[in-house]
Amino acid sequence: MEPSGRRRGYLREFLRSRSGVAGLVLLVALFATSAFVVATTSPSQVQRWQNPAAWEGNPQAAPPAWVNYFGVDAPQTVQLSLGRWSNLSSGAGGAFSASASFSWEHGVPASDLAVVPVFKGQVYEMDVTWTKPDGSSVVMSVSSPVSGSFYDATSSSFKQGIAQFIQAQTGAYVSSVTTPQEVAALFGQDGRDLLNSSVQRGTYTVAVEVLGARGLAPSSWEVSVVGDSYGTMGTDSSGRPIDLGVLAGLPWALEIGSLGSVVAVVGGVLWGGLSGFLGGAKDRAMSWGTLVILATPGLAFIVALSYNVRLTLLSEALIIAGLSWPVFAIIARTVSLSIKSQTYVEADRAMGVSQLRTFTTHFLTRLTPVTVAFTALSVSGFIITGETLAFLGIEPANVITWGGILNAAISFDASVHGWWWWVLFPGVMIIVASLPFVLVGFALDRVVAPRVSAR
Amino acid sequence: MGYARFIAGKTASYVLALLAAVSLLYVGIYPTLQKVIQASAVEAASEFQRNLARGHPGLSLAQMASEVATYKAAYLGAFGFDQPFPVKFALQMANLFEFHLGSSFFIQAPDGSKQVSAIVAAYLPNTILLFTTGTLLVVAVGGVIGLLAARSAGGKLDRVVPVVAIVHSSVPSWWIGFIFIAYFAYSLNVLPSGGISSVPPPAGTLPAFADFLRHLTLPLFSFFIVNFGGFAYVTRSLAVSTMGEDFVTTARARGMTEGRVLFKHVLRTASPSIVTQSILAVAGSLGGAIVTEVVFRWPGLGFLTFEAIIQNDLPVIIGSTFILTIILFMGLYIGELVYGVLDPRIKTGDL
Repeated sequence: MEPSGRRRGYLREFLRSRSGVAGLVLLVALFATSAFVVATTSPSQVQRWQNPAAWEGNPQAAPPAWVNYFGVDAPQTVQLSLGRWSNLSSGAGGAFSASASFSWEHGVPASDLAVVPVFKGQVYEMDVTWTKPDGSSVVMSVSSPVSGSFYDATSSSFKQGIAQFIQAQTGAYVSSVTTPQEVAALFGQDGRDLLNSSVQRGTYTVAVEVLGARGLAPSSWEVSVVGDSYGTMGTDSSGRPIDLGVLAGLPWALEIGSLGSVVAVVGGVLWGGLSGFLGGAKDRAMSWGTLVILATPGLAFIVALSYNVRLTLLSEALIIAGLSWPVFAIIARTVSLSIKSQTYVEADRAMGVSQLRTFTTHFLTRLTPVTVAFTALSVSGFIITGETLAFLGIEPANVITWGGILNAAISFDASVHGWWWWVLFPGVMIIVASLPFVLVGFALDRVVAPRVSAR
Repeated sequence: MGYARFIAGKTASYVLALLAAVSLLYVGIYPTLQKVIQASAVEAASEFQRNLARGHPGLSLAQMASEVATYKAAYLGAFGFDQPFPVKFALQMANLFEFHLGSSFFIQAPDGSKQVSAIVAAYLPNTILLFTTGTLLVVAVGGVIGLLAARSAGGKLDRVVPVVAIVHSSVPSWWIGFIFIAYFAYSLNVLPSGGISSVPPPAGTLPAFADFLRHLTLPLFSFFIVNFGGFAYVTRSLAVSTMGEDFVTTARARGMTEGRVLFKHVLRTASPSIVTQSILAVAGSLGGAIVTEVVFRWPGLGFLTFEAIIQNDLPVIIGSTFILTIILFMGLYIGELVYGVLDPRIKTGDL
């Protein structure tokens, strides 16, 4: 009767803390988002994330699309679909054509042009004709294209066609072209100054002709005029959208944080509480055990252990928890010692109540609120440890982590290139995921801890 | 008298704890450790063979092979390879504590040596420097802010400290490092983005030292900024609880200034608990500190470990983990000694 009344008192007092309630609301939102992500993500999407080639159609290292509202001219990708094929052949082989148009009103060229042919049968040649607003056109021919492959400005056949166009316009011999030169040629004003001219605004047309063996059946093709900005959080250097990774990393962060925290706090509080309760030589031995783990450099140990243990969510959480419980044990032992000096404990002993019963009725009931507060408070620490390990490259296979994204950011010198979005958003997400737990934990701690009244 | 007994007790307890922690590490990495030792033996044997061929050109191939085999067997024997587990354990632990950490797979020390002990010795001072300076800064500044917040309980500072502590508990220090680099090094271009000295280092002792300080600023600042809030919060809580004690009220009644009460009475009494908290803070912040090194390419043990992870250089990972364990133990041990000096009960032998 009495404990449940106390519990209600805790709740009332907790709800009085504005930051605590705000944290609770954020927490619910986080878990709801996480549940949504888990429900909508399949393992194949994780595999796709880990395969850089799967993202070729996206702009690489592009800032978020909303930078356009801040005076930056960073065009977004224009996706064209070639689906309505008209049959040109009357007899033997198969010949088809299709075209699509788009309007370009930016002051800068696109960053790439990519075509993904999809067809059944055999194609001998595919001609991509790029017509500019002023009517001049560039022809890029690919012989024997492979269905499902990706052809863009880096493929040699495109380079060849564009180089010919540059030579025709400028009259200068071009031995090799870079992607920026190619897109400058595709979008620039025709003439000698093609490569350094301003962009032509207006309607561009992409027309494709395929010539193949009898029975050729082209289906819907994707043509991307690749932009320079992408989505809400931009892309990394292989074109992966950061927003996708940031969202996909949420469940793992919450899982490792909550799991690690629960195991470490419950274990630590039991160990420390029992140690204080038992006292004497047993207390000294258990405190020494706490010292052993406390003075063990957790992060370095986990790195060393990770070469011997196959990392999964569970094993990683257990290893992290197994190395971080001493802090909770030390505090719980102090609490336990102060409970021990209370008269009701002495009364129990005088009345011959069993030790086990004394421990469960007096100690455990008073340690439980502390445990709840610590669990909430320490989740952030476990999230950070998990992400830190991932940043060092220690993470289970087949998970997407913010630490992993940041690891890629440092490997590809994101800071040096000024790709701030790649560094900023995953890091901010670590804070967003940790903060609600800390808010709730602080509020709980203030309610639960023996209160320190201000003067 | 009381202090000497305290030291003796603590020393014994820490030495035993270190042995236990290293045994734990040993058991955890046992399979890889055996592979690493075998790889080291192969490496050492091939070096021996080269030297043998150079020094004794007259040896036949068979003689050479037998000499090399003997050498390799002796090398493995030194690690107790043909012995039962307890002997092997004792031998390999002894080797660890004598810093016979084997040779690395790829990473080299600045002088070109591939001995793990030489590599670790080259990187260790930078970690100690960064970590010790950072911890002292956090304890000093965080402690003073905490005391000041406690003095004006309910005041403006007292309300800010928990907020800072909350934010700090949810930010990884290495990530803050990223942001600092982007802002101070690449946007403002006022501080170097990483490393420990310019390339080439400036001539002369004083310019070189100034250059070193410029490189130290950002890593130190990131470590400090993420850790001082929590420490200030803890100090504040301890000081506030001490301020409710009768002797503080007495001191005030005697007409002492608030500052004198705070620093003479409150700090004096709360200092042992504050030291205990510092010990916990040190243990907790080491991980973040060594990862901060990675972001700033600060050539310390954290950076070394990162390089070793990338190159899969297991001997280096094991060696640096072992050395970090010793460092952390020494840090905590020093904390205990300070605690012993500060707690008056120890001097009188009451504890």
